[in-house]
Amino acid sequence: MEKLVELQIDGKEVNAPLGMNLIDAAELAGIHIPHLCYLKGMRGFGACRLCLVEVEGMKDPVIGCNTKVKEGMVVQTQTERVRDIRRFVLDLILAIHPLDCLTCTKAGVCNLQQYAYEYELKDTSFTRKKMGYPIDQLNPFIRRDPLYCILCGRCIRVCKEQGTKVLDFIGRGINAEIGTAYNKPLRESGCTFCGSCIDACPVNALPEADRWRKGREWEYIKTKSACLFCGSGCDILISTKDNSIQKINTGAEPGSAKKYICAYGRFGYDFIDSEKRIAAPLKRLNGELKETTWKDALNIVAAKLKEAGGNTGFMSVAGMLNEDALTLKRFAKNVVKTKHFDTTMSLYSDVRSLKDSHSSLITTSDLIVLVGLNPSQWNRILPALNASIRKRVHRGGKLIVINSDIDASETRIQEVATVSLEGDEIPILKGIAKALIEKGEKADIQLKSAVSDAEISKDIEMAAKLILEAKNPLIFTSPSLFEASANISLIKGKVIAVGLESNARGMAQIGLTTEGKTYKEMASDGMKALYVIGEVPLVKRPDTDFLVVQNSHLTELAEQADIVLPATTFYESDGTILDYLGRFKKVSKVIEPLGASKNHRDIFITLSKILKSPMKKPTEAEIEKALKGKPKITFRPFVRKTGFDISPKEFIEAINASVLKSRRLSWLLELKSSRAVAA
Amino acid sequence: MNKDIAIKVCAGTGGVASGGEEVLSAFRNSISSAGLEATIYEKCSAHRVGCRGFCAKDVLVDVIINGEKTTYKHIKPDMVARIFDEHIMKGNPVTEWIVGEAYFNFHNKQTKVVLSHCGEIDPEDINAYIAVGGYKAAKKAFASMSPEEIVDVVKSSNLRGRGGAGFPTGIKWELGLRIESDIKYVICNGDEGDPGAFMDRSVMEGDPHAVIEGMIICAKATGSHHGYIYVRAEYPLAVKRLQMAIDQCKQSGFLGNNIFGTDFGFDLKIFQGAGAFVCGEATALMRSIEGKRGMPTPKLWRSAEKGLWDKPTVLNNVETFANIPRIIMNGANWYRNLGTDRSGGTKVFSLSGKVKNTGLIEVPLGVTLRDIIFDIGGGIEGEKSFKALQTGGPSGGCIPAEFLDTEVDYESLAQVGSIMGSGGMVVLDETSCMVNTAKFFLEFTQAESCGKCTPCRIGTKRMLEILERITSGNGKEGDIELLEELGHHIRATSLCGLGMTAPNPVLSTLRYFRNEYESHIRDKKCPAAVCKDLITYSVLEEICNGCGACKRACPADAVRGKRKSPHRIDPEICIKCGTCFDACKFKAIIKI
Repeated sequence: MEKLVELQIDGKEVNAPLGMNLIDAAELAGIHIPHLCYLKGMRGFGACRLCLVEVEGMKDPVIGCNTKVKEGMVVQTQTERVRDIRRFVLDLILAIHPLDCLTCTKAGVCNLQQYAYEYELKDTSFTRKKMGYPIDQLNPFIRRDPLYCILCGRCIRVCKEQGTKVLDFIGRGINAEIGTAYNKPLRESGCTFCGSCIDACPVNALPEADRWRKGREWEYIKTKSACLFCGSGCDILISTKDNSIQKINTGAEPGSAKKYICAYGRFGYDFIDSEKRIAAPLKRLNGELKETTWKDALNIVAAKLKEAGGNTGFMSVAGMLNEDALTLKRFAKNVVKTKHFDTTMSLYSDVRSLKDSHSSLITTSDLIVLVGLNPSQWNRILPALNASIRKRVHRGGKLIVINSDIDASETRIQEVATVSLEGDEIPILKGIAKALIEKGEKADIQLKSAVSDAEISKDIEMAAKLILEAKNPLIFTSPSLFEASANISLIKGKVIAVGLESNARGMAQIGLTTEGKTYKEMASDGMKALYVIGEVPLVKRPDTDFLVVQNSHLTELAEQADIVLPATTFYESDGTILDYLGRFKKVSKVIEPLGASKNHRDIFITLSKILKSPMKKPTEAEIEKALKGKPKITFRPFVRKTGFDISPKEFIEAINASVLKSRRLSWLLELKSSRAVAA
Repeated sequence: MNKDIAIKVCAGTGGVASGGEEVLSAFRNSISSAGLEATIYEKCSAHRVGCRGFCAKDVLVDVIINGEKTTYKHIKPDMVARIFDEHIMKGNPVTEWIVGEAYFNFHNKQTKVVLSHCGEIDPEDINAYIAVGGYKAAKKAFASMSPEEIVDVVKSSNLRGRGGAGFPTGIKWELGLRIESDIKYVICNGDEGDPGAFMDRSVMEGDPHAVIEGMIICAKATGSHHGYIYVRAEYPLAVKRLQMAIDQCKQSGFLGNNIFGTDFGFDLKIFQGAGAFVCGEATALMRSIEGKRGMPTPKLWRSAEKGLWDKPTVLNNVETFANIPRIIMNGANWYRNLGTDRSGGTKVFSLSGKVKNTGLIEVPLGVTLRDIIFDIGGGIEGEKSFKALQTGGPSGGCIPAEFLDTEVDYESLAQVGSIMGSGGMVVLDETSCMVNTAKFFLEFTQAESCGKCTPCRIGTKRMLEILERITSGNGKEGDIELLEELGHHIRATSLCGLGMTAPNPVLSTLRYFRNEYESHIRDKKCPAAVCKDLITYSVLEEICNGCGACKRACPADAVRGKRKSPHRIDPEICIKCGTCFDACKFKAIIKI
């Protein structure tokens, strides 16, 4: 339990945790202390000078962002003196600000505008000055307009903290500005276009590139959801207007830097209506795919499934909603009566690793151990995991990286590691277990004897010491190393196997895992009928008599199908997922399905009706029940599981091929290849 | 007959700038060529000595023959031969080049503690420092003093931070000693950046070992094993000599592991700054060492608790450290009694401006400004009258004549609206425009602001714009009040000392010389005839004899007139450069 201190703010009694700053403490009492540079979740920066408040017994006002609460403190946030100071500071800022609020994108959510209003400043009392900085709009994601910049440095700090580090202050005095190295445009700066700076900017200096005239902030419907593009399953906040997505931000509360999303999650939504989107069912006629009706298409599918029966294979992605997955499982098992249903999860993980993973949070762990994983913002392999770990380290967490495949130029996560252990993970994990046991930690006899021959290097010793000192160590492991990693958690800490798809854990819990042929076997064994759901990493039609592809986009595989059923994207369907940390997350339908597309579960239910074995939509309680299940970790030999050796980068790109072909993201891939050529 | 001959040539920055290196090699050449036919060569040595303070008379050369010292001023390389022939060879000093009474006044009225070795010993030779008692204090501290005892001595000496803020050094060390940590740092702040200030530079160049010895004692007192000296890269000579000194110390076992044969280790490194004024601010300096942009961070803790890389750090100025060995050797009482009740010891100032004797001086705290300007400084140059003394550089203010009897210490200078600062003193006379002076300093701080906090970044620029408009004759009613308002707000709201003190030059001149601002604004006149846009040059026809000197000198062809008849200046063409004014030998040209 955190220790609370009692203080008084504007006459109100406030109980705030020790170590909290005055801005946050005042917020507890519903009192807002104006600020522009402070960003929730970060250290006070002290640049804007707007949060100055008076504290009894102190001669001069102090900054609220950097002053910690003290027992018995008496704080005044609205005295004439501090209001005067704030007016002065705002007045100065307005002197070099465009003041074009009439047409400004940020109108309505601009903090400067809000304070100017509150402090009754229509204009500056000083001579207005234009700095004449050029706008950087050489990329389709982020528009950098230094004219609006108030130099609060929020963007610099989020960018640094998450490890991207492309922005910093340059110049001095009135000519100080924020820019990249040598003040080059973002596209030449190593920027990953995650857009964290967009969320951090309190004014209009860093809006989305296409944001202007796409509607006012107050016209938007804002809905919380989750992104399903990769195994991170990030929280997102979707702004829609007129049944169309206008922008996506992180799911953190505005004005905080607590969450991260990557360029896919923020900008990938244009794939909703890209060229390859399917608006109606298609069937193969004379060798060509032609539009048809749902009725016609489903009748054909139903007939073929009936015919193939137990020789039907269902192959799906694991980035599917729980509701769809449970319906699919029931459809395959109970309606079509086949044992062959499997997901892409089997390419990178076994079921047990995911089912036996603990639930935890990065933010509450003081030590993170990364085993056999290469999360990367630059390669876009679980970028949020990379960013979140870096943020944790920035705020005092420790990191141990254990990796046999450290590609220093690309991964870079080990640059922030407290200890980096390069080499075969198995003997290293054994060594750590042994060192922990030698330091007096308890372990069962099997574990003790399994590690008796392990060698303990100086670095392993150091890693064991860190684990011993930590309060909440959290091990993230590649599924193939789960059992070896889990042995450490038998001694201390929690362990989580990290999958590559957003709902891999939910799928494992629900049990959409084959009871007959595996995904790989189905792809090669010549099933009578194959039913493919989602964008699976297959480009060549497997040997089968009948191929149905049910997806939102016409993939290369779909082009070779007999029937193509148009499915919704996750923006067009409600549902839930269980993310890699074990958090149950809601995914929201924010726009109506495009054309005739339907969500997966509705298609299966309709088919079940045609097949005279009608199913119902799974209820919330059924989902909840299916997702229950506690990790059962017992000692298992220190062995690397085989068969999971796909390239994470290629896999993630393959399951998102349609997303990556969208208007803006395709620019990113071109940029990347041009950078590679230049290098 | 063997003579014991020593020659000392000023090789400080002022000395080198005036040709010290050439003078030195001229002496060397003379000696070595003479050495071929005489025996004096063996006993003669050409020393490099540090700054001797009196830069106005550089290159200064001491010739010491059998202990008898003769000091020469303004020596150029071509003058060496005569000194060598007449003085060294024949024993007849060249009397017309010997320094006069001013030189002795300049020195005799000072009390040299920090500067006592500067100009006396070879700063590049550790043995020279040891020969004058160097490292005795450190040895004493290691051999017979506990950290608490060292801290007590420093505390009771009343030594206060010489960087300008005047925080009691002993208390800072005590904080550093008390806090427990696996790593602690000692940092010497040598990022001297005030325009015209060269106190720390002279100490680092002239007596680097004293600074290092002070740091070693501090390390012992606070239990620190790592230290940095932060020097700007624009001080290459200081960097070079400090590095030499560190290397010599390591060889002698005064730095590194097991220093003075104990199990105590102290590792000292030089960190070169890139010359940002704001890096003299402690938090910005530490960020700079950490490899970050030198920007101040709000102080949640004292540096002694969380400083460099969040570890306890004792950070002192060059001069502060240089005082330490003397305090340890001579005792706290000796040092305390040199100064006033509130602050002990001496302070080094760089005296410049419109004063006869400019240079580096060291005086006990408590002397009056009048003593400094009129005794040591020899009074105002020319036949002008004193107007104000600017102290504390861009963070300081201007003190008018009525406060000349103020005793120098931190509080009294603050009381009259200025600050002690790191020790810059610029004497202003009746030809100095106070508005322009304020503008000069504000131009500096405005350009050197790191740009982080709003009041300093935008506010100082706004103040500067107002000053620019006042000095260009576009001042408006209300500008004075606006300057005051801006100044008070910036002072109250800025993040670091740079911003908080930036308005001082303006506010203090407004306090004492408000009338000058008013004449600029209302009468569009610059009383000191400095602000170009507000002055006009004209010819007094009754004095002008038509010599044509002004006409020939004028770069803009603005002077009209026939030879031998009075000339006129065409105000439309005149660019107010003042060339004609200087060219006229008959004082027939006036500027008003």
